[in-house]
Amino acid sequence: MITAGIDMGAKNIKVVLLEDGRKVRARAQELGGTDTRGATEKAFNAALFQAGLKMADVLHVTSTGAGRANAPYARDSVTEVGAAARGAVFVHPATRTVIDIGAEEGKTLRCDAAGKVIDFAVNEKCAAGAGSFMESMARALEVKLEQLGPLSMKSTNTIPMNAQCAVFAESEVVTLVHQKHSKEDIAKAVHDAIADRITSMVRKVGFENDVVLIGGVAKNPAFVETMKRNLQTEVKVLDEPEYVGALGAALVAADNEGVK
Amino acid sequence: MKEIDVFREWKKKRHEYAKDWQKRTGGKVMGYFCTYVPEEILYAAGVLPVRVLGSHEPQNVTEPHIFAMFCPFCRDCLAQGLKGRYNYLDGLMIAQSCLHIRQAYTSWVKHVPVPFSYYLCMPHKVQSKRAYPFLRGELDTFKKAVEKWTGKGISDKALADAIAVYNENRRLMRELYDLRKAPEPPISGEEVMEISLAQQMVDKKEHNEALKKLLAALPKRKRDRPAGTRLMIIGSEDDDIDFLHMVESLNKEQYPATFVVDEHCTGSRYFWNDVPDDRDLLMAIARRYIERPPCPTKDWEERKRIPHIMTLARDFGVQGAIVMQQKFCDPHELDTVAIRKELEKKGIKTLFLEFDVTVPIGQFRIRVEAFLETLKQDDLF
Amino acid sequence: MTEKTGKYPTEPLKCWDKAKKIREDYYKDYASAHEKGGLRWAGGAWTFDAIPAGLGDDVHPITSEPYGASCAFNKEFSLKCLEATEKAGYARDLCAYMRNYWGSILLNQFAFGGPFPKPDFLWQDHICCSHAKWYQVVSELEHGIPHFSIDVSVGPEDEIDQNKIDYIVGQMHDGIEFLEKSTGRKYDDNLLIKAVKNTCRSTSTWAKVCELNKTVPAPLDEKSMYSLYVLGTLQKSSQAVADFYEELLKEVQDRVKRGISATPNERCRVMSDTQPPWGFLSVFRYLEKFGTVSIGSLYTFGLIGAWEVAPDGEWVHRKTPMEKGVSINDRDKALRVLTEWELHKPEWQHFYSPHLKSEMMIRIAKQWKLNGVMLHYNRGCEGLSLGIAENRLALLKAGYPVMVFEGNMGDEREFDMVRTMSRIDSFMETLGMKKDFD
Repeated sequence: MITAGIDMGAKNIKVVLLEDGRKVRARAQELGGTDTRGATEKAFNAALFQAGLKMADVLHVTSTGAGRANAPYARDSVTEVGAAARGAVFVHPATRTVIDIGAEEGKTLRCDAAGKVIDFAVNEKCAAGAGSFMESMARALEVKLEQLGPLSMKSTNTIPMNAQCAVFAESEVVTLVHQKHSKEDIAKAVHDAIADRITSMVRKVGFENDVVLIGGVAKNPAFVETMKRNLQTEVKVLDEPEYVGALGAALVAADNEGVK
Repeated sequence: MKEIDVFREWKKKRHEYAKDWQKRTGGKVMGYFCTYVPEEILYAAGVLPVRVLGSHEPQNVTEPHIFAMFCPFCRDCLAQGLKGRYNYLDGLMIAQSCLHIRQAYTSWVKHVPVPFSYYLCMPHKVQSKRAYPFLRGELDTFKKAVEKWTGKGISDKALADAIAVYNENRRLMRELYDLRKAPEPPISGEEVMEISLAQQMVDKKEHNEALKKLLAALPKRKRDRPAGTRLMIIGSEDDDIDFLHMVESLNKEQYPATFVVDEHCTGSRYFWNDVPDDRDLLMAIARRYIERPPCPTKDWEERKRIPHIMTLARDFGVQGAIVMQQKFCDPHELDTVAIRKELEKKGIKTLFLEFDVTVPIGQFRIRVEAFLETLKQDDLF
Repeated sequence: MTEKTGKYPTEPLKCWDKAKKIREDYYKDYASAHEKGGLRWAGGAWTFDAIPAGLGDDVHPITSEPYGASCAFNKEFSLKCLEATEKAGYARDLCAYMRNYWGSILLNQFAFGGPFPKPDFLWQDHICCSHAKWYQVVSELEHGIPHFSIDVSVGPEDEIDQNKIDYIVGQMHDGIEFLEKSTGRKYDDNLLIKAVKNTCRSTSTWAKVCELNKTVPAPLDEKSMYSLYVLGTLQKSSQAVADFYEELLKEVQDRVKRGISATPNERCRVMSDTQPPWGFLSVFRYLEKFGTVSIGSLYTFGLIGAWEVAPDGEWVHRKTPMEKGVSINDRDKALRVLTEWELHKPEWQHFYSPHLKSEMMIRIAKQWKLNGVMLHYNRGCEGLSLGIAENRLALLKAGYPVMVFEGNMGDEREFDMVRTMSRIDSFMETLGMKKDFD
């Protein structure tokens, strides 16, 4: 029995195909762009191709993500918070805290062993999204996004940067560049600032081990290290972190089909 | 200059100073928020009042306690408490003025254990004659609470002595400020801020001694740069030494500038007026706090801040004013439009800058230089 | 007409139109006050409106916060007001009601049509940092209007003493002198005494109405309550408002008797806090899809309601001085009674400590049988949002699920409808509530 989860993220559309509510058969993603419907179809077809399946094989599709109300193929939806919890606990059963940092939104949640959400927080006005901020910082430093993390890990100096307002932080980076600080140190300052904002959010909800990180920014090793330092606890990055939401939705679809 | 360095050290090592003071004297240390706290009563009880200020470091601990729309200063203050930097305090208190800082107090006393805490209802309507008996009554209640806490009574003599020490401190600070009226002030705004911040953290007797030494040495001192454009700080709460340093170390040929006076929370508003003579000592203290240059929260229905600012601007020969606005500080935001209007009417241009815990000093430099340029151009005509 | 589409019967309120009329007449009376030689004045919703009532029966107020909310309802008009205020140099993080109100003056457009009617005097109370300064600026914008504000910031209700009451009563006496001087009218103590009694009656009765929402199912939902409590914020000292609340009480008691519900499928009860985002009240209708009703909030209950803790621990309406047999025979007594009455206002307590508010909120959650709490982190009002983060912690500790949404009661640019709905979806999921319909 095949179910599917579609994560209509702010930037990327992710699709996961799941067999019998326990085996992942395929993962695919596509940049959302302006034609999200077209992008979703592409991602879905790519996933079907990967798994060697046809559309008719899919019994139930559940959507999640910012655009979940407009997801093609989906019969129902689950919120990103619910999907993140469900997916994270499936991948790593000891999960009790999930930190999900995507392109536009960061969220944190605490859950129980069944993946039921106990409390959650989403980044608010004064803690502008981490993913897109990382991208604009990478541009300001004239490096590729993937290089930002490794660059920061070479730093030997801590420069305090405003952890509150993304706009203030951006102009601070401009100042730091003009003051001839090294790219490594500035990259580290950027990571510290974002990690501070995310940590503030995590502290609001509180955290319990195991703490896991999902979403695109989880692939940045420097960010992970900084979070470990801030929280003084082990932070696990789940495999295929940006697909955990879609996986959670696929699991909810299986739940809704009565699969135990 | 070593007479100034002593103040710098005090401010830099404020926690060490307080802990050392506790050991030396065996007395209690009371942390406080807001300059309306009647320090004279504490001092008379043998207590050292120390103002809680932030550390200008980004932090991630206050989010669960104070919602981010409240000013960075109150969150920075609470962070100090949550991080345990003030663990040596014997007491913590607040005299009611603005809303935001109250949260630093109320969250602190709930989550960080403090042996003694007090919320003083300092009246807001200082322009009403009814405020006098009211505050005197509140001070009486406060005095009794302090006596209970320290385990000994506060005699009239102790109160009179404390008033004398505090009044001398204020007089010496005004003397220091008077030196800044000179065409070439012997001291910079940054240095004075160090001194007035230290003033809020140490035993006033010691501060007086250091001030006397400084006042003896200053008249001979020549700064290594011209005073240049004479600037004034108009503020909410701000203790951004780095910013003052930046302004006063700009290229001395192109943009010489000196802060010659200020009217803000952590500056002259703190110490400007004395406790007047009155046989009723508590009433004398009440009068002093009611009649002092008002915090924006207490400046209504009439605006008394403005004539005070205009007098300072005139007496100190101010050419331009920088409004150092603490981000999200509503009370000050409610004053700036009227203040700037009045200053501009009298030909004093103003520059408005918004401050957070850390600031984009590079961007600020550009704006200050441009501001100074426009002031120079005015001079030419 | 009673309908039964779900578990419980529902019925629209009969006194709805009367409430609307009272509100309409209020603004008409203010605008046209001069036509018959009357006076008009402006002040905050918490001002001691009973006192200017002593100047005569033809003295009409406008209260600032409800007027600000009225501006905010009309998103287009509100945006124009906000932009006018920003252009005049005022910061965006200032009280949103205030910015709407000032904008209305700057544009010289009254939200109810015509130019903005200038008040003859300003009569305010001061507890949050903006209160008196609001009118300081109003006077400046209107080139000078006589202004008197009373400082009420004397501490929480369990610390009231003679010194504190004297401070406020003293200011009130000074205020009456001010009123006589600036209007040229002779003050009538009998009108004052009547108005004080009306104040006690209207606020006590409103609390009685809110108490009825302890019933399951709740006879009223918070969205409807907003249109009803507002009358108290307009003029709690008026006979019309006090009488209306007694009429409303009878109707709601009847609804309780007949099991009439605000929500056809009530199965989940929540409360909110702080002012709602006025331009987006559809959020409350959205809750209905989950069979969820907001039974009110400390804000709806306590902004004008007068409450006390009964011996058995239940939070109930405060008994009026008249009910307690207290006689009010002269001006000073009237002012003292009024002061003591108002100092117990629930929404004044957190100004001294949020933990006092947490206690009240937990009591509401228990006694109104709640499943969860939705807190509006309201950027538009620092006064009512004061300490809200600590309230959240306390409610969570007491075992209540809490949802937080950021917004602004009067500045629609700071409210993200889509994000908020998404957050509500997530919250309903955690409470185990599914939608009945889309």
